[in-house]
Amino acid sequence: MTFQQFAYHNVIRNSRVYAAFFMASIFSVMVFFVYSMLMFHPNIEDQFLRDIAFGGMLIAEIILIIFTLFFLFYSMSAFLQARSKEFGLLLNLGMEKTQLNRLIFLETMIIGAISITVGIFWGFAFSKFFFMVIRELFLLDNLPLYLSWKPFALTIVVFLTLFIIISISSVVFIRKNEIVQLLKGYWKHNGQVEYIRWKAILGIVLLFTAYSLVLISLIQINVFLTFIIILLATIGTYFFFSDSILFLISQIRKRKNLYWHPFRLLAFAEGSIKVRENARMFFVVTIVSTLAFLSVGVVTSFTSFTSQYRELNPVSIFYSSEWDNPFEEAHIMQLSHELQRENLSYELIKFQVKKQTSSSSQEVVNLIKESEFNSLAIPLKTPLIDLEQGEAILVPSTQEDFRTLSQQEEQTVLEESSVPIQIVGQYKHFVFPSLGIKNRTIIINDEDYRLVTEPLFGYGLKESTSTFYAFHVPEWLRTKDVGVDLDKIMINTMGTSNINPNPFYFVNPGLNYSIIRATFSLLLFTGLLVAAVLLLAAGSFVYFKLYTDLERDKKQYDVLRRMGVTDQELVKIVNRQLIPQFFLPWGLAMVHSTFSFIFLQAVWVDLAAVSIAMEMLLVLIAFTVIQVSYFYLIRWRYIAHIQAS
Amino acid sequence: MTKVYEGKVAHLAINQLSLEVEKGEFIAVMGPSGSGKTTLLNIISTIDIPTSGDILINGTNPLHLAKNDLSLFRRRQLGFVFQDFNLLPALTVEENMVLPLTLDGQPVELMKEKVREIAEHLDLTAILEKRPSEISGGQAQRTAIGRALIHEPAIILADEPTGNLDSKAAKDVLEILTRVNQVSQTTIIMVTHDPIAASYCDRVLFIKDGEFFNEIYKDDRRQTFFQRILNVLSLLGGNVNDLSTIRLS
Repeated sequence: MTFQQFAYHNVIRNSRVYAAFFMASIFSVMVFFVYSMLMFHPNIEDQFLRDIAFGGMLIAEIILIIFTLFFLFYSMSAFLQARSKEFGLLLNLGMEKTQLNRLIFLETMIIGAISITVGIFWGFAFSKFFFMVIRELFLLDNLPLYLSWKPFALTIVVFLTLFIIISISSVVFIRKNEIVQLLKGYWKHNGQVEYIRWKAILGIVLLFTAYSLVLISLIQINVFLTFIIILLATIGTYFFFSDSILFLISQIRKRKNLYWHPFRLLAFAEGSIKVRENARMFFVVTIVSTLAFLSVGVVTSFTSFTSQYRELNPVSIFYSSEWDNPFEEAHIMQLSHELQRENLSYELIKFQVKKQTSSSSQEVVNLIKESEFNSLAIPLKTPLIDLEQGEAILVPSTQEDFRTLSQQEEQTVLEESSVPIQIVGQYKHFVFPSLGIKNRTIIINDEDYRLVTEPLFGYGLKESTSTFYAFHVPEWLRTKDVGVDLDKIMINTMGTSNINPNPFYFVNPGLNYSIIRATFSLLLFTGLLVAAVLLLAAGSFVYFKLYTDLERDKKQYDVLRRMGVTDQELVKIVNRQLIPQFFLPWGLAMVHSTFSFIFLQAVWVDLAAVSIAMEMLLVLIAFTVIQVSYFYLIRWRYIAHIQAS
Repeated sequence: MTKVYEGKVAHLAINQLSLEVEKGEFIAVMGPSGSGKTTLLNIISTIDIPTSGDILINGTNPLHLAKNDLSLFRRRQLGFVFQDFNLLPALTVEENMVLPLTLDGQPVELMKEKVREIAEHLDLTAILEKRPSEISGGQAQRTAIGRALIHEPAIILADEPTGNLDSKAAKDVLEILTRVNQVSQTTIIMVTHDPIAASYCDRVLFIKDGEFFNEIYKDDRRQTFFQRILNVLSLLGGNVNDLSTIRLS
C-alpha cells in the first residue's frame, strides 16, 4: 500500500460519512458549470440578453464561489475534527507531521477531484435541459448545446483553487493540536452544559428587538434601520443557539414534574448537549436557510409584479405626437409595417387631443372625445363611457392618481373656450402611459369637444393639439421586435429621467415586458439554483453531524434497549432528538423569513402596490415540504443504523 | 440450551449448558475469554436468542413473548450493570438512576422518593446533581447499580462490574451487591474474571468453550472459597487473564 493508496482508501472507505458533503459539493460544481456554460454561450445574439445573462451569471458565480469556500472550509474542519483520534493514532504510530499534512492534502484533493469531475459530468449532461429552460424564459428561438473549453477551464480552475486553499488551511488547523489532545478526540462528551446567562437573555432580547424594529419600520421605511435589523438578528441568532436555548432547557430541567417524563428526560438532556455541540452549525444553517428562503421569495415576488404589468399597460403599443413632430406619419407607417411583418393583427385607434386650461387647477389638460375613447375601450374590454353634455371623466395615469385624485365631483371651466364641465369621477382602469401624455387627461362628451375651438392662451390653434395613437395587438407578447429603433431613441434620449426632449413618445409594453420577464426569470433561475445549493449544504451539515455522533448514539440506544425500551418508544425518543436538530434552525429561519417578507411587502407596496403574500406563502410551504421529506429520509437511515447494532 | 452463531464459519458459543438459579441467589460465572460467558448473559438478558433450549425467568419464558412485551419484561424484571457503566453522559447521577422509572411513566413523587432512598443506600446523595464525567469510577458504578435497582427487578445481570475499577472501589461495589442480595433477596448473576469478585458470591459456575466445566459453592469463609476458586481456575487453564496470585488478607 503506497501513501497515495492509503489516502485514497481513507476517502473511498469513508464515503458514507462523506456522502452528503460530496453531494453538496458536486451539486455546487454542477451549478457553477451550468452558469459558466450560459455565460460563454456563443449563440445569444441579442446584446441586451447577452449582457444580463453574463452579468447575472457572473454575480451568481461569485456568490456561489464565496459560499462554497465557506461551506468547504466548515465541512473540512468538521471532518478533520471528527477524525482527530485517527490522526493522533497515526502520529503515535510514528507518522511525521509533514506526512500527516501530505495525507490530509492528498485526501482533500481526491475529494476535490472527484467532486469536480462528477460535477462537470452532470453539469454537462444537464446543460441541454437548462438551455431549454432558459430558451423558454428568454423567448429565444434556439439555444443549442455547444462545446467549448472555456466553461470547463473556468470550473476546473476555480474549484481546484478552492480545494487547494481548503486543504492548506485545514492542515494548519490540525497542526495546532498535540497528539494527546488528538487522541482524546476533539469532541469530549462530558455532558457539561454551560451557558452564560447574560448572553442567553441578550440573544432573546436582540431577536425580539429586531422583530419589533421590522414592525416599526413598516410605518417608515428606513434603509439605515434595515442594516441595524440585519445586524441585530444575526447576532441574536448566534446567541440564541449558543446560550438562549440552553438557558431555556435548563429552566425546564429544574421543573421535575415537567421534566421526568418517559421521553422528555432524554430528549431535553440530549437536546441540550446536541445544541451546545452544534450551536455554530445551527447558526450557519439558520442564516443559510434564511438566505435561501429569501432569495427564492424575492424572486418569486417579481412574478407578482409582472402579472400586474399588463394591467398597468393595457395599450399594446402607444405613440403620442406633438404638433411639431415631423416623423409622425413615417413612424406610424413604420410601426404598421413592422406589425404586418410579424404577422400580427392589430387595431389602430387615433385620438385627436385638444388642450385647454382648467379653471379649477389652472393647469393644462388633455381633452379626449368620448367616442374615440370608447373605440379603444371596446377592444381593451374595459367599461364604455356614456357622458351627458357638460360631464367629464378623469383618466388616471399613475397609481398616485388613483389615490390622490378626488372621487368627488368637481366643477371646472375650460377657460379658453369657456366650456363649463362637471368632472363626475375617474375611470377605474389605466389606459394611457403616464410619460406619454404629459398633462392630466379628461374625457368629454363629443358635443363639448366640438365646442372647444379656442387655442391655449399664447399659442396657435395647431400648437394646442396633439395626437395619440393606440395600437391594440391581441398577441401583445409577440411585439418585442416591433419599434425596436424607436425604443432605442426613447432610451437614449430619456434614460431614466421623466423629461422627454422628443416631439413624440413611444412605448411598447410587449418589448419592455419581454425584457422585464427575461431579467426576472433569469433571477428566478439563478436564485433557485443558488438556493438549492445552499439548502443542500445546510442539509449536509446536519447529516454529517448526525453521522459523526452515530457511534456514540448507537451505544446509548443499545443501553436503552437492554433497559427495556420498545422499538416504538425508541422511534419516539429518536424523533424527540432529531426534530430539534432539523427544525430548530429551520424554524428560526422561517420566522426570520416571515419578518423579512413582511418588510419586503411594505417595500413592494411603496414601489408598485403589489401583494406578495401568496407567493411568500407558497415559497415557505415548498421549503417546509422539502425540509420534512429530508427529515424523514434521514430519520429512516438513522433508525436503520441504530437498530442494526 | 445451545447457541450457534451462524456465519461463514459456524461457531458453537454455548453447548448444551443447563443452569438453574434459585431466587435470591448470588452467582458468578467464570471462564476464560471466548468461553461463552457474555453470550450466556445476553441470552438471559433476552437480547439474544438461543439456537435451541429454553429460559424460564420467574416462571415466564421470554422466548414466547412478543417483541414489545419482551421490552416491558426487561424493563420491569431485569436490571443491568455493565463493565464500563454505560451511564448516559447527558443526564445527572439522579437522572440516570430514575431513567428506568421515567421510561415507565411512573409518578414523579414516587421517583423522587425512590431515588432519595437509593442514593442514601448507595452513598450518592452528595453527588446527585453531578454529571457522569465529574464523578469517579466507583461512584459511576454505584450510580449504575442504583439505576439497575430502582425498579426492584427480579434479577440483576452484571457484566464484569468491577472490571474498570480500582480495588477499593471494586470492594465497595461488591459489598453493595452482596447487601442488596441479602437485604432485598434480589437474584444476581455476575460474569467476572476476577476471583476476588467471584468470592463474594454464593456459587461460582465455571464454563469453558461453551460447556459446563465445574461448579463450587461457598462455604463459611470467603478466604477458603477464594482459594478454591483459584484452584479451579488453574485447572481450567486456558488464558484466564486475571489469574492472580494475590491472597486475600
